[in-house]
Amino acid sequence: MRRFTFFGISALSLLAILVQLGCGTNQVPTSHAKVGATAIPPASLRVPPAIGAKLSFNEHIQPILAENCYACHGTDPSSRKAELRLDRAEHAFKKRDKGGPAIIPGQPDKSPLVGRIESKDPKEVMPPPEAHKTLKPAAIALLRRWIAEGAEYQEHWAFIAPLRPALPEISSAANPVDRLVLARLAAEKITPSPEADRPTLLRRVSYDLTGLPPTPAEAEAFLADAAPGAYERVVDRLLASSRYGEHRARYWLDYVRYADTHGIHFDNYRAIWPYRDYVIRAFNQNKAFDRFVREQLAGDLLPARTLDELAATGLIRCNLTTNEGGTISEEVFVNQTRDRVEAFGVTFLGLTTGCAACHDHKFDPFSQRDFYGLAAFLNNTVEKPWDLNIAEPAPVLRLPTPENTTAAELLFGERAVTQEKIQLRRARAQELTAAWLAAGNRPKPVATANLELRLKLDEGKGDVLKNSAPAAKIATFKAETNPLVWGENTWLWPAMRMDILTRITLGDSGDVEADEAFSAGSWIMLRANPGGGVRTGTGNGTLLARMGDAKRRGGAGWDISQSGMRIIVSLTPGAAPATSPGAGEEAAKANTVAVAAETDPASPAAALVVPEPPPRGLQIATKLGQVTRDEWRHVFVTYDGSRHASGIKIYLDGKLAETEVRADALTPQDSIRTDAAMHLGRRDDFNPMRETRFQDMRFYRRHLTPAEVARLPFEDLAAEIVAREPSPAKWSTDEGFLVMDRFFLGEIDPEIRGLSAALAEQNASFEKLTKEGTATLIAAEKETPAFSDILKRGDYFARGERVEPAVPHFLNGLPAGTPRNRRGLAEWLVAPAQPLMARVTVNRMWQELFGRGLVESAGDFGIMGDRPSHPQLLDWLAVEFRESGWDVKKFYRMLVTSATYRQTAAASSAALTRDPSNRLLARGPRFRMDAEMLRDSALATAGLLVKKIGGPPVKPYQPPGIWEEVAMPESNTKTYVPDKGDGLYRRSVYTFWKRASAPASLETFDATSREVACTRRARTNTPLQAFVTMNDPQWVEAARKLAERAVKASPTTEQRLDFLARVTLARPLVAKETAVLTRTANEFGTKLATREKDAKALIAIGESPADATIPVTELAQWTLVASQFLNLDEFLTK
Amino acid sequence: MASPHSHPPDDRHLCSDHGGEYPTVWDLPHVPLGLKQEWLGLETRRHFLGQGVKALGWAGLATLLGRSAPKLLANTAPVRGPALSPHFAPKAKRAIYLFMAGSPSQFETWDYKPALADMFNHDLPESVRGGQTLTGMTASQARFPIAPSIYKFAQHGKSGRWVSELFPHTAKLSDDLCVLKSLHTDAINHEPAILQLTTGNMFPGRPSIGSWLSYGLGAANEELPTFVVMTSKMPHRTNVQALSNRLWSSGFLSPEHAAVTLRAGNDPVLFLNNPSGVESDLRRTMIDGVNDLNRQLFDRVGDPEINARISQYEMAFRMQTSVPELADFSNEPPSTWELYGPRAKEPGTFAYNCLMARRLAERGVLCTQIFLRSWDQHTNLPKNIRLMAEDSDQPTYALVTDLKRRGLLDDTLVIWGGEFGRTVYSQGTLSAATYGRDHHPRCFSMWMAGGGVKPGIAYGETDDFSYNIVKDPVHIRDLHATILNQFGLDHTKLTFKHQGLDQKLTGVVPAKVIHDILA
Repeated sequence: MRRFTFFGISALSLLAILVQLGCGTNQVPTSHAKVGATAIPPASLRVPPAIGAKLSFNEHIQPILAENCYACHGTDPSSRKAELRLDRAEHAFKKRDKGGPAIIPGQPDKSPLVGRIESKDPKEVMPPPEAHKTLKPAAIALLRRWIAEGAEYQEHWAFIAPLRPALPEISSAANPVDRLVLARLAAEKITPSPEADRPTLLRRVSYDLTGLPPTPAEAEAFLADAAPGAYERVVDRLLASSRYGEHRARYWLDYVRYADTHGIHFDNYRAIWPYRDYVIRAFNQNKAFDRFVREQLAGDLLPARTLDELAATGLIRCNLTTNEGGTISEEVFVNQTRDRVEAFGVTFLGLTTGCAACHDHKFDPFSQRDFYGLAAFLNNTVEKPWDLNIAEPAPVLRLPTPENTTAAELLFGERAVTQEKIQLRRARAQELTAAWLAAGNRPKPVATANLELRLKLDEGKGDVLKNSAPAAKIATFKAETNPLVWGENTWLWPAMRMDILTRITLGDSGDVEADEAFSAGSWIMLRANPGGGVRTGTGNGTLLARMGDAKRRGGAGWDISQSGMRIIVSLTPGAAPATSPGAGEEAAKANTVAVAAETDPASPAAALVVPEPPPRGLQIATKLGQVTRDEWRHVFVTYDGSRHASGIKIYLDGKLAETEVRADALTPQDSIRTDAAMHLGRRDDFNPMRETRFQDMRFYRRHLTPAEVARLPFEDLAAEIVAREPSPAKWSTDEGFLVMDRFFLGEIDPEIRGLSAALAEQNASFEKLTKEGTATLIAAEKETPAFSDILKRGDYFARGERVEPAVPHFLNGLPAGTPRNRRGLAEWLVAPAQPLMARVTVNRMWQELFGRGLVESAGDFGIMGDRPSHPQLLDWLAVEFRESGWDVKKFYRMLVTSATYRQTAAASSAALTRDPSNRLLARGPRFRMDAEMLRDSALATAGLLVKKIGGPPVKPYQPPGIWEEVAMPESNTKTYVPDKGDGLYRRSVYTFWKRASAPASLETFDATSREVACTRRARTNTPLQAFVTMNDPQWVEAARKLAERAVKASPTTEQRLDFLARVTLARPLVAKETAVLTRTANEFGTKLATREKDAKALIAIGESPADATIPVTELAQWTLVASQFLNLDEFLTK
Repeated sequence: MASPHSHPPDDRHLCSDHGGEYPTVWDLPHVPLGLKQEWLGLETRRHFLGQGVKALGWAGLATLLGRSAPKLLANTAPVRGPALSPHFAPKAKRAIYLFMAGSPSQFETWDYKPALADMFNHDLPESVRGGQTLTGMTASQARFPIAPSIYKFAQHGKSGRWVSELFPHTAKLSDDLCVLKSLHTDAINHEPAILQLTTGNMFPGRPSIGSWLSYGLGAANEELPTFVVMTSKMPHRTNVQALSNRLWSSGFLSPEHAAVTLRAGNDPVLFLNNPSGVESDLRRTMIDGVNDLNRQLFDRVGDPEINARISQYEMAFRMQTSVPELADFSNEPPSTWELYGPRAKEPGTFAYNCLMARRLAERGVLCTQIFLRSWDQHTNLPKNIRLMAEDSDQPTYALVTDLKRRGLLDDTLVIWGGEFGRTVYSQGTLSAATYGRDHHPRCFSMWMAGGGVKPGIAYGETDDFSYNIVKDPVHIRDLHATILNQFGLDHTKLTFKHQGLDQKLTGVVPAKVIHDILA
């Protein structure tokens, strides 16, 4: 196996080697230079770095170390060998336990590193043979020289904030872009190309700014405009066109992986297209890019004053989601967060973060802690992990109908004022709480008298649960069977979840007779309903009970259960059913009906749930509409020992719940005592509750008053905290949240209560106003503190240390005063000290126009990414963009009016050989256009393009069966039914994007499935693409409509050909071309003359009717001619 | 000494990237001479060399020029040179992967557990399950009753292999198959599991096995795709799971390595056929005109991409003949229909796809993957697995037999299996007549045949409940390493630089080739 680079790294080093070998400085070899036995390819001119007298760590050394050494001697401690780190001076120069420092600056011969890399002994040599990396002599020579020169380390270029470089003085160029490009070309002794001819230029800039070709009229106007500034006027016209926003949005939607389906399993439709329209509007309105970023990342936290700002947060919801039956919600949640962090990293930072989900990044300083710090910003949103296979999984924004829009916007503005007041008040929580306490106020505890059990369930690990009741009979309990799951969710503190089949036996606790009072309950989060999935359990079961089955004293005991979205409390006698006339039977009937009706409809597994026995003794149940799943609720029951149903009360969140009596028949002789053990989450013998979370479970052997129960959820806990530590400043995040947010603001502060009430009213009004409106997925922040756990090896089950939102440690810090939430994250991105976002953004904008970025690896600005071809230009652009007020249109205008952009793309073979990929920008860009631009162009030239902006996604032509091949039968995107009429001819940005089966013709031209963020599409050239442009009905129909235009516009062959050229290529034909086309047109004509049936068949393709005024064979003939134009390289290329 | 090489721009960091290696026309051993001359005769010679094959689009050139233009195994930087050979001598030249999506139960197929018969409706001992987290589907079950296979097993062939009565045809292949009983995977649900099996990773965005093979070995047929996927009509539509294009996508490799889906019907390749009314002679004229104009354009602009496009249109024209020829079964002898059964005449059936797979194998297509869905038998397993077995048994047998008769089996690796196993306990109600089985990642069975794999053996063992592996576990990544090995590829060396890492099909956790099953 042969390699043709020296040591498998970038060409940077190649050049450096050439320098060493006397190939000249700053001079790229123009022929196949050879070094030793290896040929140097001409394209190695990729990124020639400036070589000074001294080697640069960033340019010359880091690439070698990163490629060959960092995997074992980099940032990741888990894979580090021999305690050696080579990525930072302080480590490389440090004495290690086993051996001295690896590098001794200035002394290559004494540096063990050099000895190891030069060793011939397979046991000694570095990198070791099993690494499949070999350092070539030239690389070794570079390392030697660098060490001899002092082994100076540098921070990675992309992690240092850009400064505006001084512009070179070049008199001929006014545009700063050109000055920097020309300076570089001059240094390389390369002459730039002349300006492209006007038709070419017009075509290029029209495509780049609108994604569409110029019309012949526009071409003529431009040719005729001899006044200075003609080109600039064209640019301004294009920037003002609504087509501009559609075109820009199309790129952005790739960057953020926008699509119209969930992506996984059912891959159902989801409602998020208003986000797409927001993006289009934002570009068309020339929204400042920093605002664009803020709105998308944190529109809900701004607070949103306009509907657009909230619709913008669809960005947060672009990730793939699932509702696959059998998945574990926490796993899904963790995966979705990971997806978000990766997409955020690639799009906003140009960093590859994915590997740090499992371990520290091996090359970049991005640690696992950094990953989870970012995750904590992005995962604290309220939507549930399972998407329920529905189009509108909450939270959604409903957009008002046009007639309600003004009213809704007005209301929205008012709402924002309220929200802002709430935010301000919340921000003062600590100060206000401290003042309240200073005034002598205290939260009031609930007396611990007769408290038999108190399981705080805050252990955080293991399976032993502590009973913290002061008079505990039993001090600890052990969970059996399946392990407990800790920390996935936080409420009062990181919470416990029972795994499937976990059994928590509370022994002989809770042994009460029917005439003894008791009170019991807990904070509970009922298992999410894995909604809609077939064969999934309903999640009914017992929350807390001391009750056995019928064999155990006839099922005697007490039980607090959840069933059919009710809480049901039963006190059941062990003897035969008491026969209170009517009540038992009626209640039994009612119960059966109720359970059947309330059981999750799509769940045949209801049969698996142990049916409730007909109620005996006492039973009351909450009425429907009060109990909810998948959120924390305080459920508490009191019983006064009266042997009457009226003596049982159920409280939800400290407030008396509405209940109904199902059984009220307990005689003074009936006993509810049982030998069954008390259990959390099940009865002794059955009715287990699965995957339920519990916190602060209590059992009192007394009847708590309503006032006491009201204090249980928060005040009692707050009292405990304040008693222990009265100074708010010293509370932990969880404690502070509990006392200040839940207790003080939630229960004491009158102002917040008033504001919350006002907000609720405004929300209700808004909901009413938009009831019929279109929904779009948005982000909404949870009220609980944001956090994420560092997951060992990325395993959602292996929770490590808990981290709060934090930006990567090696970048700028969060700006002072910004909140640690998505709003703060957005502010951080747009801060002047942020080194990456501005660079990454301008680089992509450059890439959109020039085909490749100044940094080729548009999604990786890290150590393993490509170096910029023009570092100063990149920095200048980044600073300029920010300091211009993030003015996007102005930026594109600057680029497209540069001489660099306006150069002709035609190249001599010498130029091509010298710089095949045009890294030095000595000629204009020329490349095959993206899928959407091609399809839109065909439609535009045919006159078919429908110019409507926005709205629900549309379904143009696709062959039958294209979705069925992959879709589940249950999916609502199982069958592709093309639209009729306008939907066939809209711009491709509106095409329905099913992730499991992206639009086939577009995918053939390298459009992606939008499953992962894509900052740079591939650009392939395959025969399958020819099939699309020659045979796809969309293209055949477009050719026919284009032919109709040509035939009707002009009588002669020559004129028609000229018309077609002007429409498709924006230029007239040259004689040589006309000759070819005339010949083939005649041939089509001759052949079709005898094939009228064929001609009819051809022109019948497509929904649009053929122009009946044109003879059939003539139309077919010109359809083929038009199709030729649509297949020309020139048409497919920008 | 190599001829002067060109180094095209390194496009490593695309989401779907070009391969990391670009052979030049010189490096391709089977380039038709005329074509080479045509290329070299162009005054663009130097441009072409400058741009390398990248200018053509790699797969395009591979299909165009290379009868076997093996792309080289890139390590980090583009690797190339005239010595185009795999890491070591390959045993297999092509793969046919019969993917039983939804996952057939091992109990009714290949993992015979006679001892279970006496344990009907007993509870699965807690010690066997060992605190395992189950899917949300059986999580709500009060108990886990053991469900022995309702179908009988008998021994077949010299190997004395136990085969379920559901597969009377495949049973005849007993001495040809290598049955792996100890596969295990990380995912307990379909979407991540099927993605892990097809791409080595539970998250989207990675290349599929076929894409890795295409990237590593290139095309062997100049007029057909390198990697072909077919989905099959289902005999019934219960227990159907989703597929998606991501299962055969090229991930971060160039899109040219993604599978081409061969579709049932008139357009086996998307938009292959000319529009109605356009006969081949018209198409020829049309392409002649287009190419003529493109050549003129090239003279003006000099962009080598234009030449590439000219070639791709020629290629497309040729595919319009080669693909229909491929899909034209009229020249199949009567013995074919006896072997595959009458359903093989119906496009899109599993039987039809198996016959197509043989025809693709004959034409040197590197990797063919056929998906057959509806094996996800959570309920009504006895009835539904029988329907699936009836649909798949004979065509499977026919394919292997056919390959054998034609001398193709030796260097064709045939693989049969799903994405995970199923539980010994019944999901839902267990009765004498019916039961269901939930997902089970801890063990499952697959088989391989041909391609240098030992015939007539079984590998790996599970416990009496086929719940845990007791001997010779095979992780998905081991399976992948073994498959690559048969193609002469070292899974540690078949890498592609993406996100700064040398990405591999087998990922970062060490994987091993299962040498014990190799002939």
